[in-house]
Parts: sequence; C-alpha cells; structure tokens
Amino acid sequence: MTEEKKFYLTEEGLERIRKEYENLKELRLAKTRRESPEILYSEDLNPEYLAFREDINFLGSKIIEFENIIKNAELIRPPKKEKQNIIDLGATVLVEINGEIDEFRLVGTLEADPSNRKISNESPIGRALLGKRVGEIVVIKTPIVNHACKITKIKYNNNNKAIRL
Amino acid sequence: MRGIKKFKIDTKELSQKEKVLFKKLISAAELIAPLYLKQKNNKHPGANFYPYDATKEEIERAARKNPAILSSYTFVERDKAGKLIAIPYHLKFKKELKPISEFLEEAADLSEDKNFSLYLRSRAKSLLDDNYEKSEIIWLKTNSFKFGFIIGPIERYLDRLFFKKCAYQSWIGFLDEEKTKEAEKIKNAILTGRRKILSGSEKAEISKLGIRVDRTAIFSGLIADFMFTGTNLPNDVKLMEKYGSKLTIFESSLESKFKGDHLPIFKAVFDKKFQKSYSEEDLYKGSLRCILLHEISHSLIRYRDAEERLKDLFPVFDELYAYILGIKNCGILFLKGVMNQKELEAILIMHICRNFTWWLDSIKNPDVKHYAIGAVIAQNFFLKEGAMREKGGISWPNFTKLFICINELSRLLEYYLAVGSYEEAKEFIGEYSSFNVFKRFSPQLTKISKLK
Repeated sequence: MTEEKKFYLTEEGLERIRKEYENLKELRLAKTRRESPEILYSEDLNPEYLAFREDINFLGSKIIEFENIIKNAELIRPPKKEKQNIIDLGATVLVEINGEIDEFRLVGTLEADPSNRKISNESPIGRALLGKRVGEIVVIKTPIVNHACKITKIKYNNNNKAIRL
Repeated sequence: MRGIKKFKIDTKELSQKEKVLFKKLISAAELIAPLYLKQKNNKHPGANFYPYDATKEEIERAARKNPAILSSYTFVERDKAGKLIAIPYHLKFKKELKPISEFLEEAADLSEDKNFSLYLRSRAKSLLDDNYEKSEIIWLKTNSFKFGFIIGPIERYLDRLFFKKCAYQSWIGFLDEEKTKEAEKIKNAILTGRRKILSGSEKAEISKLGIRVDRTAIFSGLIADFMFTGTNLPNDVKLMEKYGSKLTIFESSLESKFKGDHLPIFKAVFDKKFQKSYSEEDLYKGSLRCILLHEISHSLIRYRDAEERLKDLFPVFDELYAYILGIKNCGILFLKGVMNQKELEAILIMHICRNFTWWLDSIKNPDVKHYAIGAVIAQNFFLKEGAMREKGGISWPNFTKLFICINELSRLLEYYLAVGSYEEAKEFIGEYSSFNVFKRFSPQLTKISKLK
C-alpha cells in the first residue's frame, strides 16, 4: 500500500483550507439546486448545458482535492524547547546568503508565499535548511546556483504564528 | 512621424469621456517629439545642448560662475561677446510648450480621478517654468492611475559630455492589473533581503517602490528613440530617498523588442540543439523578468555621490549593475522556489540576447552607447571566465559558470558605484570594452534589420 502524501499546514493555513472547502461545497450546492439547462438545443447539444457540466465537474474535482488535503493534513507545531535550536517546519530563520541578510518562515508547499516571507520546505533553500542549527553554514547546491548560507537565528512561536526576529 | 512610436492597443474599456481625454494626452505627447529632435545630435557628445566649439573645460569653468550652465533644463549658448550663457528650456521652447500645456489642462478637466487631474495641472505648469519637482512628487505619491502618463524633460542619455541635460519624452499607457500583480509578487520576494553595504559608501535608502505594468499606446521623444522596455523614475536621488521611486514595464515595446530583436538574436547566435529546449513563451517570460528585475535593482543601487564621482561613466555602471544585480537576485528567487530552473535559464539567455540588442542599437544610434558599453563589459567578462563557449559563430552558455561570473561582476560593479574613483572606473571599462565579442557574430546577424 502506498503512503498518502502529507500536507504540512499551520493552524491558520488549515483554517483557510477548511473555509475554502466549505465555500466550494456551498457553491456546488447552489448551482445544482438551480434548474439545470436543457441538454439539447434544437438538435445540437446546448452550450449552456455544456458550460454548466464543466462548472460542476471543476467544482467536484476541487472539492475532492481539498478533502484529500484536509484528510492528510499534518499540523505544524513548534518542537519541544530543547529542539528549538534546530530548523523544522514553522521555524522563522535569519540567514546570511550571498551578501544578503534574509528572514523567512519555513512552511509546507501549500502555504508557501515568498513575497510574504513564507518559503516552502520543498524549495532548494527549504530542503537544505531543515535539521540545521544556529551558526551552521549550509552549502545549497543546485545544478545552476550554489550558495553558502549561514544560519544566524532560529525562532519558533508557541502560538504558531509568523514572527519577526 | 519622426520621434514617435505608436502601438496598437485596445481602447474598448475606456468610457467616451476617457477616450476624449486619451486623445488630448496623445496630442500632447505628439508635440513633444519635435522638441526632442531639436535636442538630439549624435554627431556631438554634447548633442545640441552646448555650442559645438565649447570644450568640456570651458563649460566647467563657466558653470563654476553660473551653475545654470549645467542645470538639467538649460541650453548653453554663446552671447554676442562669445561668453557661455544658459537659456532655460521653457524660454527656448516657449511657443511650442504652450499648446502642450493646454492639452494637459484640457485633459485634467475631463478626468474623474482628482489626483490624476492634479498631476496633469501641475505638469502643465512645470512645462512652462521648468520646475518639475512638485508634479513629480504628486506622481510618486499615487500609484493607481488608470493612465500611465509621463511628459517632460527626463532622461540624460543624450548628454554624453556631462550626463546632465534632460531630453524631452512622453508615454501613455493603460494599467495591466493582472501583470502588475505578478510583478508586485516578484518585487516583494526580492525586497525581503537586505544587502550588506560597503563601508565608507553613501548608500541611498529608497523607502518605497511603486510598480506598474502598462499596455503602452505611444512613445514620443527619447523613449521612442531608445525603445525602453521598462523604466524607474525619478532620476533625482534626493527625491527617490524622500518619496520613493516608481517603475513601469512597457508591455507593448517589450513585445516589439522581443519579436524584432531578442528572439531573432537567440535563433542566430545559439546552438540549434540548445535552442530546442526553450519555447518562445519561456523566452518571452525570461525577457519580461529580465527587465523587471533590472528596474527593481535600480532602486537598490543608488549612492548619493555616485553621479558626481563617476560623472559621464555613471550611466554605464548604473545600467549594467541593474541588470547584473537583477540576475544575481534571481538565484535567490530560484532557491526560494519562486521560479524553476528553466525559468532562470531563460532569464540568463535573454540577458545575453539583450546585450547583443544594445550593441546592434548602438550602431544606428550612438546615443545608447552607455547601454552598449555595459553590454560589452558583461559579454567579455562571461567569455573570459569561460561562462560562454564559442565556435564558428555559435555559442553555448554554461549556466553554472555564468552564475559564478554574475556574482563576481556584481561585487566589482558594487565597488565602482559605491566608492570607486573615476580613473578606476575608466580603467575597468577599458579592460572589457572590445566590441569584437559582438562583431564576430555579424554574419549571422545580418538578417536583423539594423545590420542591413
């Protein structure tokens, strides 16, 4: 039996997914409650009916996708105090990389939003930093870009919210 | 019409009133081109801004007694006694500027956006007294105008003697909200990092960076001649520090440059097998990102004393470093998962094609030489460090080495802009400015119109 993919989410991330899931279900219900357009228009398939089916199918597949995420969601929780010097999901880190000082939080891919300092654990930098400690210099190697990255601070928020270092 | 470039854009979404307003702005923009053409003269490094017989030393001497001589908004002429005098643009072009100013006033009457009206009225006044600061501040403080509109003397590239005199230009475009949102995301992802600053430098901190992507309808004056695909204004570092800066990406000119230059160059200079890995869409996106990152970088590399220190060499370093830092920042974006490897490679490829474009442009228009010199420095640097291989007029990039080169070049350019002296900068240019690196590709580039 293949193991199902886990989706790592913060509490607020999971809450957002749940809300979107409920909205999608309501939308589908509202659509199906309304009378469906006639299948045929003259002797041809009614384009309005085709559009209606397309919408219902799209909503159905999105609902299944969200159900799968909620079922396999793994909440990101701050680690025990003695392990808070190690980078794990949910950690906000301060790093020096290629002459720049940068700060971001490591999150699951679903919540990644680099323009708001949320970086995916599956990105090259996310993968390289997981499990590392303050003071360590990590060499991030990719086929095209190679950079050394020095970890200067790691912090977790016990309320599980993003923080600024 | 000379000095004007028009692009086809859809105006269906405009209301009837907006269509009339738009026509007024177009009329104003069209009248700017003749003023630019009176300033332009690429046979002389000082264009038509200074008497042809005046030496650099004589102008500098005169400017010590009369600072208006090197003001951004004056022509320098000789009086009857042969003495150098400054004639303000608004007096020299009094007759020509009046109808332009009136078109702006009429457009302001039609606008339902109060801030846009305020900006147009202020700009109308600026044209008649050469005091542009007030209208620039209004423009900088608002980022949501439906029309992207600029008019006035702005860029200094025509003045290859001192890089002081501003040339007239205008553009009009409509905001592309969807593309602007995408550009905003890239900008925000870049701005999370803080660069370390060289000690002893006078780094300017630009607090705010507005961004918009426009569907451009018309370029007039210098911008039509240079066919910019993006810009970051204002140029005055004091204004930038106080009110921030605003960058505009011109989709229409980008599409035209991509189809007319970047793509044909890609097909002419790269190995055929290598070409197959990249679709036209990948490459267009790469070109768009290249200019976007370049313009964002302009706000990150300003030093208060750089223009005075590097004088006429300043634009070479400012433009080249904006490209190089933009690409360097892409490396971090790739590591953060903002873009994938293919997208990053497309940006690098398009940077190389843009280098060729600037060289080709400079053959017909020596006024773009600042860009061409920057391009040739990068290209020679890449070749010398083994980041590009060449055989029989065909080239292959080594992306890993290119990135190492970009980091090294970035370190050097930062030095010259931050603290380097004029002599050091000149020596560096001398080392990397042989155009043979482009010229040997001439046979396969003849299909591109500029070499015909």
